[in-house]
Amino acid sequence: MNARALKRFVPGGRWAVIAVPFLWLLLFFAIPFLIVLKISFSRLAIAMPPYTPILEYVDKALTLRLNLGNYVALFTDSQYVLAYLSSIKIAAISTLLCLLIGYPMAYFIARMKPSTRNIALMAVVLPSWISFLLRVYAWVGILDANGILNRALMGLGVIDTPLRILYTPLAAYIGIVYCYLPFMVLPLYANLVKLDLRLLEAAYDLGAKPWQAFLRITLPLSRAGIIAGCMLVMIPAVGEFVIPEMLGGPDTLMIGRVLWGEFFNNRDWPAASAVAIVMLLILLVPILIFNRYQHKEMEGRLT
Amino acid sequence: MAINERANGTPADAGAERYLRIEGVRKEFDGFVAVDDVSLDIRKGEIFALLGGSGSGKSTLLRCLAGFERPTKGKIVLDGEVMNDLPPYERPINMMFQSYALFPHMTVEQNIAFGLKQDGIAKDAIRKRVGEMLEMVQLGKLAKRKPHQLSGGQQQRVALARSLAKGPKLLLLDEPMGALDKKLRSRMQLELVNIIETSGVTCVMVTHDQEEAMTMATRIALMDQGWIQQVGTPDEIYEQPANRFAAEFIGSVNLVNATIDEDEPDYVTLKTPAFESPIHIGHGITGFPGQAVSFAVRPEKLDIAKNEPAQPHNKARGTIEDIAYFGSHSVYHVRLPSGIKLMANFANEQRWASEGLTWGDQVWLWWGDNDGVVLTS
Repeated sequence: MNARALKRFVPGGRWAVIAVPFLWLLLFFAIPFLIVLKISFSRLAIAMPPYTPILEYVDKALTLRLNLGNYVALFTDSQYVLAYLSSIKIAAISTLLCLLIGYPMAYFIARMKPSTRNIALMAVVLPSWISFLLRVYAWVGILDANGILNRALMGLGVIDTPLRILYTPLAAYIGIVYCYLPFMVLPLYANLVKLDLRLLEAAYDLGAKPWQAFLRITLPLSRAGIIAGCMLVMIPAVGEFVIPEMLGGPDTLMIGRVLWGEFFNNRDWPAASAVAIVMLLILLVPILIFNRYQHKEMEGRLT
Repeated sequence: MAINERANGTPADAGAERYLRIEGVRKEFDGFVAVDDVSLDIRKGEIFALLGGSGSGKSTLLRCLAGFERPTKGKIVLDGEVMNDLPPYERPINMMFQSYALFPHMTVEQNIAFGLKQDGIAKDAIRKRVGEMLEMVQLGKLAKRKPHQLSGGQQQRVALARSLAKGPKLLLLDEPMGALDKKLRSRMQLELVNIIETSGVTCVMVTHDQEEAMTMATRIALMDQGWIQQVGTPDEIYEQPANRFAAEFIGSVNLVNATIDEDEPDYVTLKTPAFESPIHIGHGITGFPGQAVSFAVRPEKLDIAKNEPAQPHNKARGTIEDIAYFGSHSVYHVRLPSGIKLMANFANEQRWASEGLTWGDQVWLWWGDNDGVVLTS
């Protein structure tokens, strides 16, 4: 009897299953985040590590010194503000391009016969089995002045002088859209494949031409997929570093590159941390909107 | 085939008699014939049922009417206008889908307004029409609800209101009661008929449920394997089946093989190995002596008792093998000496009335001169 009563307080198997991922998140996500947050409030110092502690015990006095200078600098130095705006702009345009390319792809894959559908889906996913870095680097070979694209176009006589695409913002857009397209296509596909085709027949029956039925039935019903796809592309694209670094020119200003510069070139850990924290706050807005929308959607389904 | 059908000069009443004409419609899918040269004339304002099992072609024919399928051959003419080449969104035909196909992201109101908006009607006129429709199906209070917040019966009424909102020339119902439970079904059948009759629309419905077809339809076309087996009013189809298929599909029936013995203008007698006495029919038929036919008689037309009836024909002797008690009536399965089993209904008009007859009893079955039907095919 006693043993049984005690057993309630001994963590069981179910508890362990939940604890593992939580512990993982705590160790590798929450604690590193708190460290970055701490560094962002410290001051640059020539030391190892290169910042001052924010908590000091000197002369029997415990002092907590929060340095807001890093944050103030972010908002006063137009360099940072421009980098944030430019990141958001590049991410937003890339997301829109992904949507414009990905929606028709997802739509037609969802309408295919189930057998061909799987092949098409594989074709979308397969490239991501190759290293991300390698795929981005492949675009250097394609877009270079001596690259495949220019040689092909000149060979065909379309152009006389090679197009300058590599190391321009255009190349960064191409790279981002290429790399993130599967993240747009997959949630859209998952949504569109569930669409009840009888709803479209009902719309035709009531006088809607195919394109009207698309606008009034298919598009609104795929809203959840559109939002999910846009979030999956937009959020990582804002902080993207590798693609603008490898494909974009010096004028492709993105916050990921600024962060890199602060951390590795200036060795200014506090400033880099502040940049990262503010980026997180900016991304939090769309994530919260997304969550709220999903929540509402779930409630709508249940009642 | 660019003939204007209106120019053919059919009289006005003939137009009402043949409001919807299905002329030799055939539909093939990759060599499989789903609908095989079906011709039907449907009157203005009637509720016409296409009744048949799965694979009978009834749904394909309905989809041809709606415009979702193109007939391989034949013509569909509605109110003098050939429908064949019109896409579904240009036909004056609306359909109530089997699972209703209500738009889940729109309210009841928006669902009903969908077709009207599509026609570019003024907002005020749409609001007025939607109001009328909601009143007709008694859903005014639920106008702002989404479909998933409605019960099955309410969803059905929304679907009906949506398909009637545009005032179509032809209303199509695809298995209208398919998604409802049994109890709700019988109530909604009559309610649906009332609404359809009030609106005066011509209606073609598809169903596999004979009770539903008999309750709701003014006329029924019985379909099997792409063919029309019989067209008629519910009582015609029940009491005067055209062939063995029709007799067996609707209700239950006793069928025996027989040959024509005497073929006179005012009576016919049949010989059958099934019964010890001959079958006597009180009217003439088109046939010849010696012709092999089937004799069909419904269980409720048979009388059952322990004593031998006085009549010299139309009777059979046997042993009660099974009794199915249904409350309102009992069905006795009687095995004859020939090995044939007959079903006879006994109405339980008095309480405990059926206690007199039990398993193993020797009984006589008999029927009147006009209770059975001779089937030549």
